[in-house]
Amino acid sequence: MGASGSGKTSMRSMIFSNNPASLTERLGATIDVEQNHVRFLGDLILNLWDCGGQEAFMESYLHQQRSTVFSAVGVLIYVFDIETRELGRDLEYFRECLEGLRQYSPAASVFLLVHKMDLVREGERAAVLARKREELERASGGKGVTVFGTSIYDETLYKAWSGIVHTLIPNASTLSRHLRIFADACSANEVVLFERTTFLVIATSSSSAPAPVDGGDISAAEAAAAAAPDETALNPKRYERTSELIKAFKQSCSRLREEFHSLEMELAEFTAVLDEMTKNTYVLVIVHNPVVETAAIKMNIRIARRKFEELQGDNTPS
Amino acid sequence: MSLPDHPSTKPEVSKDGSVHRTKVLLLGTRRSGKTSIQQVLFNDLPPKQTFYLEPTMRVTQHLYDAKGNSTIIPLELWDCPGNITVDTLGAPLSDFSTVVFVVDIRDNYQQPISKLVEFVAGAYDVNPGINFEVFIHKAEKLQEDDKIENFRQIQERVTERLADESPEYEQVALNFHLTSVYDHSLQEAFSRVLHKLIDSLEFIEGLLNVFCSNTSSPKAFLFDTTSKLYVATDSSPVDQATHTLCCDYLRMLSSFAPLYKSNAASEPRVHALSPTPTPPPTATSSSPASTSSARALLSQSPSDEPSSGVAKKSLFYPSAAASLSPSHPGTTLTYHLVTPHLALLALLPTTVYEMRKGLVEWNVVWLREGIREIWEVEKTRSTTTHFT
Ligand SMILES: Nc1nc2c(ncn2[C@@H]2O[C@H](COP(=O)(O)OP(=O)(O)OP(=O)(O)O)[C@@H](O)[C@H]2O)c(=O)[nH]1
Ligand SMILES: Nc1nc2c(ncn2[C@@H]2O[C@H](COP(=O)(O)OP(=O)(O)O)[C@@H](O)[C@H]2O)c(=O)[nH]1
Ligand SMILES: [Mg+2]
Repeated sequence: MGASGSGKTSMRSMIFSNNPASLTERLGATIDVEQNHVRFLGDLILNLWDCGGQEAFMESYLHQQRSTVFSAVGVLIYVFDIETRELGRDLEYFRECLEGLRQYSPAASVFLLVHKMDLVREGERAAVLARKREELERASGGKGVTVFGTSIYDETLYKAWSGIVHTLIPNASTLSRHLRIFADACSANEVVLFERTTFLVIATSSSSAPAPVDGGDISAAEAAAAAAPDETALNPKRYERTSELIKAFKQSCSRLREEFHSLEMELAEFTAVLDEMTKNTYVLVIVHNPVVETAAIKMNIRIARRKFEELQGDNTPS
Repeated sequence: MSLPDHPSTKPEVSKDGSVHRTKVLLLGTRRSGKTSIQQVLFNDLPPKQTFYLEPTMRVTQHLYDAKGNSTIIPLELWDCPGNITVDTLGAPLSDFSTVVFVVDIRDNYQQPISKLVEFVAGAYDVNPGINFEVFIHKAEKLQEDDKIENFRQIQERVTERLADESPEYEQVALNFHLTSVYDHSLQEAFSRVLHKLIDSLEFIEGLLNVFCSNTSSPKAFLFDTTSKLYVATDSSPVDQATHTLCCDYLRMLSSFAPLYKSNAASEPRVHALSPTPTPPPTATSSSPASTSSARALLSQSPSDEPSSGVAKKSLFYPSAAASLSPSHPGTTLTYHLVTPHLALLALLPTTVYEMRKGLVEWNVVWLREGIREIWEVEKTRSTTTHFT
């Protein structure tokens, strides 16, 4: 949900349809609700409702269609255009949406995206976002919400959506635990598991500072990183930047009618392999120890494959 | 081996010394995109940001020199305001080896063509060997058909106007390129411009041809990693899509590398297996580097130590490979750093990459040695000439 032109359809098309940012300029306004079933992790079917934001539609969601729209909602994502001139009305609608949720889907999680952050000067983004976050939290009146600043032109998009889908993965903690075991087996400094089509991060294991993917903790970890710019600290944006980079490269490959399949690197600082883990996931393994070769990592991935297929099998609500 | 009297003995270097070959003049009417081109190519300015560039008021020289060996040829790029004339330029046209003339593809061509003709005329008397490279720019703004049609028309009019002025001008080399900052056509065009300035191009191409035939690679580029321009490629034709993929790959790798680097990590890496860099057996006989002229060139290298020196063994050369499917039998896009600033990007059949990795690595080492030797010669030459 969100006002017309705030960027909902743009984000959806980039994350779930692999479109580049440049194509979003051609999108027309969404009429009424566009329903999309997207397969995530193979068996998890997300039913995305992209609700056209023009006023007439909003009125209808809040009144005539109220029970249809707000029943059985798992996640509400409300998009605020950073440049909006009608924040008052936007907030009004948002509060009414929360009311609808309270009535029909009280357990739903709520994510607020402060979108088009690229239009804010880089130095001011953090401050602008902090102010917005406070304002939106106040407007949410006690309902716990997670706020992300986003833009389709940088990695913030992937960070926000990784945070959102993370809440939908049923056995996230089991997955993380096994990922840690796998990381140890590889002597890996970092292991990142991505969903195959969206390349959103679904689990990570890092030998350095813990960096969980779910929204709430990210800002805390980031604040800590910003407060103490530790010489040894890894780039706090590395996971979402990886999603962004690989997605862009996949698009380059498909323009040549090729499909990206896997990647291995032996760089000055680390050895890395990015390869299929299961039918629906990709894994990135980063090893700083120079003795470990890519072939060994690939072998480990091959061995771990079955275990992870099984884990995912357990995912299926039978 | 002593260093012969150089470079005056080199026939292809003009008698006024090779300092001039490094100067490139960027011309064109106002708002045609000169500064954008310079900024996107050499300062990594995102194309969208070119929108905010201020008009250029004075001639500005940008130096991309051999500092840290960052490019294979030291460049001096002169960015000019739109109203510059031969007289107000502040340097004789004989100083320049190349003029890049930028024309907005949607412009009324009258004015830019007059300006171009004016410069061709000015150059003809003092420097007939100068290269004129016409960038028909902002090409992405037009549909494919219109693009081609405008491109053809501009070429035709330029040729007509030049012939009208004087039949002699036909001797001036004019090349036309379609360019845009929004795709890699700009990088490709500028790479081609550079190629004409690299004396040793033919030897490097020869090395790449050998690499391709030894490894069954359909295409290999040698890229300058900083500017992401390619310095040379093998003799098979360049397909734009492949070139674009290589540029994107290079960009992705260079963004990826700093992400997972930890400052806490141990000392710089050493290559575990450092094969003695001698030419692979398959390469020796067909090697163009063993032709007599190349031998002569290579033997001038001042650091002509045995190539398997101990110091070099400790160097680590990063590499990467991306495998692509579903093309059959599958393609692997490889990346190998061959000097601190040059990277070999090659398309290899996945079967060769996976089953005959040793062969590929041998050929990379061999290529690296060849490049290094050519490179040493180039460097000596450019430093020598700076003092003449
Ligand atoms: N600068 C900037 N523009 C964006 C961003 N995201 C989307 N846009 C642009 O905003 C415009 C509207 O985007 P849509 O995705 O169609 O908006 P919507 O929310 O689906 O609008 P309705 O369907 O009418 O509700 C497009 O021109 C996008 O290119 C962003 O992060 N930054
Ligand atoms: N569409 C498009 N616009 C371009 C391109 N290159 C430059 N521009 C725009 O052209 C305008 C003038 O560019 P600038 O580099 O300042 O021109 P200069 O006066 O020749 O230096 C700017 O608004 C750029 O954004 C291009 O390839 N495509
Ligand atoms: Mg829409």
